[in-house]
Order: sequence, then C-alpha cells, then structure tokens
Amino acid sequence: MIDLSLIQKPQRYIGNEINVVKKSHQGKIPICISYPDLYEIGMSNLGLRIIYGMFNAFDDVACERVFLPGDDLAVSLQNSSTKLFSLETKTALDRFEAVGFNLSCELNCINFLKILKLGGIPLKAKERAELIVFAGGIANPEPLAEFVDFFYIGEFEEGIGQFVEVFRKHKDKKARLEALSEIDGFYVPQFYNITIGSCGYKFDKLHKYAQFPLKRVYVKDFDKSYYPLNWLTPHTQIIHDRAPIEIARGCPNSCVFCQARSVYKPYREKKVSTIYEIAKNIYKNSGYENLSLLSLSASDYSNIEELLDTLIAEFKDKRVGLSLPSLRIDDSLGNLYRKLLFLKKTSLTVALEAASDSLRAKLGKKIDADKLFEAAKIIKSLNLRTIKLYLMIGFPEETDSDLLSIAAFLEKLHSNTGLSINVSINIFVPKPFSLWEGAWMCPEEILDKKIKLVLSSLRRRRNINISISQTAKSILEAILSRADRNFSSVIMKVFETSGYSAIENWQIWQAAMDECGINYRNYLKSENKNFPWSFIENPKISGCKNDKDN
Amino acid sequence: MQIERFPVRLIVEKSGDMVYFSQLDLVSILTRALRRANLPLYYTQGFNPHVKMSFGRALKLGVSGQEEVTLYFTQKIAAQELHNKLSSQIPQGLRIIQIN
Repeated sequence: MIDLSLIQKPQRYIGNEINVVKKSHQGKIPICISYPDLYEIGMSNLGLRIIYGMFNAFDDVACERVFLPGDDLAVSLQNSSTKLFSLETKTALDRFEAVGFNLSCELNCINFLKILKLGGIPLKAKERAELIVFAGGIANPEPLAEFVDFFYIGEFEEGIGQFVEVFRKHKDKKARLEALSEIDGFYVPQFYNITIGSCGYKFDKLHKYAQFPLKRVYVKDFDKSYYPLNWLTPHTQIIHDRAPIEIARGCPNSCVFCQARSVYKPYREKKVSTIYEIAKNIYKNSGYENLSLLSLSASDYSNIEELLDTLIAEFKDKRVGLSLPSLRIDDSLGNLYRKLLFLKKTSLTVALEAASDSLRAKLGKKIDADKLFEAAKIIKSLNLRTIKLYLMIGFPEETDSDLLSIAAFLEKLHSNTGLSINVSINIFVPKPFSLWEGAWMCPEEILDKKIKLVLSSLRRRRNINISISQTAKSILEAILSRADRNFSSVIMKVFETSGYSAIENWQIWQAAMDECGINYRNYLKSENKNFPWSFIENPKISGCKNDKDN
Repeated sequence: MQIERFPVRLIVEKSGDMVYFSQLDLVSILTRALRRANLPLYYTQGFNPHVKMSFGRALKLGVSGQEEVTLYFTQKIAAQELHNKLSSQIPQGLRIIQIN
C-alpha cells in the first residue's frame, strides 16, 4: 500500500466523505465509476453522483468511485507496481466487473486511458476478456470506439435498471454486450462496421439484433426522476464547493452553437415543491452552506420567482447561500438578483456570446444587449464588484467589424456601470448535434489574427480583464469531437509517446496524426452529407414531437 | 441589534485518516457537522455571514493530536446535548474529548 503521508493532497484518496457507501463485494456486482480528472473536479460533476446513488440503491450492486491520481501518486503506483484503486474499498480497478467513465469533455480522453492503464486494465475493448468498460456523456463516441465496450447514448438514469438486469442474467462478457446492444441507448461499437464511401459514412450491423439507428434516450418523468439526497459531502474543498440542485434539464432556446440543448432534449422542469423537498433534504444530510440552482437557462424556469421566494424563506435564517449560475439579462434581472443578494453576495454573469447585434441574431441568441445598459442603474445598486461576460469568436460569418465591436461594447459597459469586467472569450467549435454541427472550424492562422484584432482594438483598461482560449487547444477539441474511428490510433499513439502532459502539447498530436496518415483538416471542413456520428438519431433531422422549438 | 452569544470550548482529537485533513478542511468539517446537527448557531455579522468559531493552535498536517475549538451559539446549550448531537455528525478519526 502507498504511504499517503508522502503524497500531495492525500484527502483525495481516502474516501471517507459524509454519506459514502461502502459495501462488501460478496454476492454483488462490483462497478467502479469515474470522471477522468482530479478528485476536486470529478466530485463537482452531478451526473456521476446521480449514477453512484442509483447503482447503490440496488442491494446486489456495489458502486465505487475512482478519479485521476495526481502525478506524484501515479509515479508511486508505477514504482511500487500497485494498481490504481477505488476510493471506497481500495479495490484494484481490474477487480471490478465494469468500470464506467463520464467522457463529456473530449480533452479528458488521455486521462481516461491513463486511469485504465494505472488500474491494470487492457486499453482496447477486444483485449479485455471479462471486464466491461463503459462510457457516457459523449456526443460523438467514434474516436474512442476502440477503447470502450459500450457507450450509453442519452441520459443513463433510464438505462441503469436495464444494465443491472442484464448483468444479473448473463455472466459472460459477450452475452452481456449482445443483450445490452438490443436495448435503446446502448451502443456497442464492435457490433457495427463503419466504412467510408463516396456518399460518406456507411453503417452496417454485425449483430443481428443490435439497435440501428440508435435512439437518444431521455428521462420521461423528470420531476419524479431520481435525485441524490444523501449528498456525498467531501471534507476538503472541491472546485464547485456547493450542492447543485437541478431545476430543469434541456433548454427552450435555439442558439446555433449549443450542443447541450440538443443532447438534453426536450426541455423539462422539476416542480417548485419537488425542488423544495430536494433542497431541504440535501441541506439536512450534508450541511452544505451553499446551494446552486442548476439548469442551462434559469430565466426560462416557469416559476423562478416563486421558487426563489420558497427557498429564501427556508434558508434565510440558516444563512445558506443560493446561486443561479445561468440568468439572462431581462426585466427580471434586478428583481431576481436583489432576492439572491438578500442571502449572500453573488456575482453577475452574462453569456452574451457576440458583442454585435447582427451576429447575435445570426446565432439565435435572444439577448437584448441594450437591456444590460438600461439595467446599469440596477446593477450599480446591487453592490456587485464585478460582471463576468462570456463571448465567442471564430464563427463562420463573423466580420472584422463584429470583432471590433467587442472593444467598444466592453468600454461602454465599463463606463456605464463603473464595475470591473472579467471577459472570457472562447473559440467557436462546431459540435456534433448542435444546429451548426456541419459548420466549418476556423483554421488556426485566422483565429490567431482574429485574437490579435480583438486585443489590439481594446485600449488597455485597468478594469477589463480578458482571457482567451488557446487556439491549438480549440482545434484539438474540434478534431476530437468530430473525428471518426480511425482517430483511435492517433489517441493511442499520443498516449504511448507522452502520457500525461500530452493534451497540452499540440506538436505531439501533430506528429501522431502525421504518423497515422491522418489529415486533421478533413475533420474541420464544413460538411452536410453525413458525419461519423450519424448512426445516432438527431431529432433536428428526423423530427421529434416532444421538441417544441424545431 | 447585537445578538447574545454563548461560547463553548471543546477539545477535539484528530487521529487515523483525519490527520490528512488540513486546518482549513477542519473548519468546513465542523461547520457542516454543526449545520447537520441543527444546533442554534451564531453567525458572523458581516457582509458574508458564516458560522462563527475560533481555534487554538492548529495541528500540523499528517500529525495526530488534540486541538482547542471554541463554538458559538445563540442560546445556552448543555455539554451532554452538544456532545451527543455533534459526535454523531463528525467523521471517524475526529473525537470530542472535552466540553466546558
């Protein structure tokens, strides 16, 4: 065993959180789940907590967790030939029957392979005799198809019962995968043959009963769906150190760049009374001093004022902070923020995406920027210190004047409110299933020019802080989210040559792509025929009666 | 208006797995334990109110030992009651040695 006193932040590896579930594996199906990043980041993921709670609700399932170990622990594990272990019972990963990963962030693919390797699990699906590696949260599973036995397409709450049922009935890996592939949402890559012809990608089933095309599964009764009330409460600080309460899933807006609105279709809400019960129980079981109301767009929640009044009445005397991370600027802004400030200080975040009105209209972003200036007086009265803005650049139809309007907008906002402004500028990546999934990804040389233009047009102000995402990282993200199965070999090569630091290092990726004979620009072109992920139904094309906005 | 506050001094012992948790961690461990125990907590009065507590000399990370903590309540609370309610909410490796 590793001596934890020699390891940085040993709190990450102890697994003694409040409400942790520790079961003996005797007579149970042992499953380990992971968010492939450090503990502090992984523990901030809501999906992982929902799945952890749902699996452990079965008496005959023991579900545990593992996260990416820090560099120092990874080295100690390798030097002492110890396998990476689960937090709960310190069981080596290769002793589980199934290991599951949340792969919603494409750039975590190297971390994912690292966890498998450190846990003593063969990387490729076909090299594993018994153990099943499964994954979810990913829009386009293809670049990782070689490493994963099955992906779940959609919201796993609906599939957990079926998963456990199949694992109870079948003990053999092949039988388990065949049985799963016949159920909606379970995608077993080895049962499909994908070829590229003149009409693009062609998909053939290799197992007669496997589903095709794959339907995206979503929670039908969102109000009554499972929510983890025995909140797993870490003893050490995590990135989002508050208990999130999901008030709605999906989004009724149609911003063209947004992937989340498409993969969490349709828009659903929990009732105020349900949210109130959840909040009360989570507080009782965790003692968390901050609760956050989670959704893609809180302003669209039907009864947002009633919800806030209910929660404020409950938590005011207990000095529990409430936050709404996704408010839109509209008339209710002043009112809602005043309510929140009543509890605790908060910051104002506005996802504006583009500074020019015409570009914003093209993006389907229904925000009236003038409201922000009209609200300047209210904003001033809120006692805020900063405003945070999100902007994006690199859109296909973007002009130089769109970019120049960023500086003008920021300077106007600063002089109107007198507040300091933190701006985070992200680069547009055409994501699978978004309305602009077929758009062109802006090449790196043009992106660099655009960034230069934005920065040089802004007369340096003390109170405007800008952070811009790195072009190479955005290009890599675009490649990973749009690539096909051939790309598995590149990921494998990058992992073998450099392991941990690879994701930051664009040269290593370029070398690996050259060696594998892959021209990454092919993945970045505009495309409207079909995509590597076209075997998954996209309601935008096929029409979905639950989908009000299409 | 000033709310009256009732301080209670505790000696807690850190051992086992808890030695890996820092002084900063200890503050949130105790805060959340007090909140779960539903005790009449005294909050600081500033812009960003939080549960008031004060500490004696902090223990080093990785070292087991005893530490003094003062908690503040809005009403008088019996030592035995506090012991019972808090002990059931603090993690293994943390133990209340003395209350006065």
